[in-house]
Amino acid sequence: MRKILIANRGEIAVRVMRACRDMSLATVAVYSECDRAARHVRVADEAIAIGPSPPGESYLRIDRIIDAARASGADAIHPGYGFLSENEDFAAACRDAGITFIGPTAEAITLMGSKTAARRAAMAAGVPVVPGTEEPLAADVPDALIVERARQIGFPVMVKAVAGGGGKGMRVVSSPADLPSAIRAARSEAGAAFGDSTIYLERRLERPRHIEVQLLADHHGTVLACVERECSIQRRHQKVIEETPSPVVSPEQRARLTAAAAAVAASVGYTNAGTVEFLLDEQGRFYFLEVNTRIQVEHPVTEMITGVDLVAWQIRIARGERLDVPADQLLVPRGHAIECRVYAEDPDAGFLPSPGRITSLRIPSGPGIRDDGWAETGTDVPVFYDPLISKLIAWGADRPQAIARMRRALMEYEVRGIRTSLPFFQWMLRQPSFVSAEFHTEFLDELLQRRAGEGFSEIDPSLEEVAAIAACIADVEGELAGRSGSTGAPAGEGTLKPVLSASARVAADSSDRPVRSWKDRARLEGLRG
Amino acid sequence: MTCDLETPGGRRTIELRRRGSAWEMTLDGRILSVDVTATGGRWSLLIGPDTSSRRSYEVAVERRSNGERIVYVNGLAVPVSIVDPRERLVQRRGNVSDGTGPRSIVSPMPGRIVKVLVREGDVVAAQQGLVVVEAMKMENELRAPRAGQVSAVKVVEGMSVEAKAVLVTLA
Repeated sequence: MRKILIANRGEIAVRVMRACRDMSLATVAVYSECDRAARHVRVADEAIAIGPSPPGESYLRIDRIIDAARASGADAIHPGYGFLSENEDFAAACRDAGITFIGPTAEAITLMGSKTAARRAAMAAGVPVVPGTEEPLAADVPDALIVERARQIGFPVMVKAVAGGGGKGMRVVSSPADLPSAIRAARSEAGAAFGDSTIYLERRLERPRHIEVQLLADHHGTVLACVERECSIQRRHQKVIEETPSPVVSPEQRARLTAAAAAVAASVGYTNAGTVEFLLDEQGRFYFLEVNTRIQVEHPVTEMITGVDLVAWQIRIARGERLDVPADQLLVPRGHAIECRVYAEDPDAGFLPSPGRITSLRIPSGPGIRDDGWAETGTDVPVFYDPLISKLIAWGADRPQAIARMRRALMEYEVRGIRTSLPFFQWMLRQPSFVSAEFHTEFLDELLQRRAGEGFSEIDPSLEEVAAIAACIADVEGELAGRSGSTGAPAGEGTLKPVLSASARVAADSSDRPVRSWKDRARLEGLRG
Repeated sequence: MTCDLETPGGRRTIELRRRGSAWEMTLDGRILSVDVTATGGRWSLLIGPDTSSRRSYEVAVERRSNGERIVYVNGLAVPVSIVDPRERLVQRRGNVSDGTGPRSIVSPMPGRIVKVLVREGDVVAAQQGLVVVEAMKMENELRAPRAGQVSAVKVVEGMSVEAKAVLVTLA
C-alpha cells in the first residue's frame, strides 16, 4: 500500500492525511466544486474533482470516487466517517476494483448496518439488548401494526432508522397518538439521509447514559477493546461532548462492557476499527445499542488516553499487519480526555446553522490541547455539509485537570465572521451537573427546553465593561476598513482596523470637515489629529 | 467627549480623555486608565485605576450595521451598540429591529421548507415555532422573536429558499 485516496472532506480528511504522512504514504484528495480551495485539497499530495457541491453529486458518488482512485493509481481508500463510510456497496465496489477499503468487509457493514440484524448478532453473542422490534418495519408496514408493536414494547418508544446513525431518522414517542407523525418524520429523514426509510422500534430507557467501546480487530483473529467513552451530552441525539473514561463506569463494569463489545465483534468476524454502543441504565445495567463500522468523530479522546493512533492502525490492519498493541495499554486509562465538537451553529439562536466566511480564526494550543480541524481565516463554511469546524480535545492527568484545560482552551479559541457553539461549551463546562458528571442522554435536551431559547453567552459585567471600552475607543480611534481609503475594501461590515499610534496621527488632516461623527467631534476636541 | 453604548447588561456612558499615549476614561463614575496597542488585527488593552494596577485584555472589534459592534474578548462575542450622532440618524431612517414594528422572519441559510407551522392570522407567542427549514443536514425550527400576529406566510412545504428569503411576517 503506497497511495491512499481519502473519500471525504473537512476535518476527518485532514486527520487521515496526517496519519498517512506520518506513515510516508501518499494521499489523494477528492473534492466537490465548492471545496476546490478547501484545506484537505491543499494538505493532500494529489487532488481530483468529483462533481458539484451537493453531496449526492460528489462525495456520495461511488462511481466517481472509484474512477478517481483508478486515475490516480491509489491502492487503498479511506472513507472517513459519514458519506460512504458505512455503505456496503462502496466497500464492495472498492474490492471489485482491486482497491483496499480501509474498514470492515462489505458483509460486516451490511450486517451491522442493519440495526435489527446487529441486535440479533448481539443477542446471539450473549449481550443484552434494549427490548424492541426484532424485524425491520419497511415502508409498506401499516401504521396500525406499528402502533400495536409499540404497545407490546411499552411507551415511551424510540422510532429509529434501520440504516440509521448520527441521530437522523430518530424520534421519541410517548403516546400512541403521536406515533404516526413520528413514523412519517423518521421515515422521511431516514430516506433522505440513508436512502432507506425502513424503521424499527426500541423501548426508551429512562435517563440512560451513552457508553461506547472502541474496537480494533485485525485479519489474524485479534480483537482488542479500548477504555469506554461516555457520550451522554447529546443534543437531539447528536453527540456534543465526549469523554473517556466514563466518570461512572467502574473497573468491573469496564471489564464486562469491553468483553461484551469484543464478543459481538468476534462473533461476526469483524475487522478494522469499529465501535459498539451501549446504554447504561440508572441501575448500572448495560444494553447493546448498535455497532458503528467506521472511525468515529470522537476517536481522538481514546487516542489521548491510550497513546495509539487509531487511524494509523486502521491502515496497518488493512494492509495485513498484526495488532500487536498490549491489551492493557488500551484497557487501562492513562489520564482523562474530553472532546467538544465545535460547530458553525449559533447557540444563542437555537443552534441554527451559521455558514459563511470565517474572517479570523485562532486555535488554542498548549499543554494537553489538541484541535482536529480544517478551517482557517478566510475559509467559507459551505451550506452543503455537516457544519463541524473542529474537534477540540483536552487531556489531563484526571477529569478536573482535563476540564480546567478545556476551559482555558475555550477562552483562547476565537472564531470571527460566523457563529459557533463555543460560547455554549464555555457555559456547559461551568455547569455543576457537568462537573459532577450527573448527566444522561436527555440531560441536554431537557436543559435546553427549560431555558426556552435563553442564550449561552454569559458575559460577566466586567467583560461587558471591557467590551464597551473597546467599542468606544474603536469608534473614536479606528478607521473602518475601506473608509480609510487605503485598503479598497467595501465600506459597511468589516473589522475595525486599529490605528493607534498617537504620534503617527498628529500629522493627519485636521481641516474644516463637517462634524458628522464622533471621529470629527474627537478631532475638534483635540483627542485626535 | 462622551460615548453612549448599549451592552446586554444595560446602557453605559463613557467619558473619554487622551492622556499622552493612553486614554483616561470615566465609566459609570469610575476613573480608569486604558492603554491601547494594536497587534495583528487585535488590540491589547491594559485597564485599571492607575498604571500600577491594570488588567490585561485582548479584544477584536467588528462592525455590523447601524452602530452594532461585536467585541471578541475571552472567547466570547459581546454585542455592543453605539449611539452616536451619525448612527442615530441611520437608525431613524431604517428602523427595522425594534420590538414593536412589523417583523420579517427570514431564512438564515439556503434550504428546503419542511413544515409551515402557522397560518396567516394566527396569533403566536414569543419563541413559538413558525417554520421548519432543512439545511446543513439538519431540520431547524425558526421561532417567533416576539409575540404577534402572522400577517403573511410566504412559503409552502417542500419549497426551496435562498438565504435571507422572507418566510413569515409578524404584524
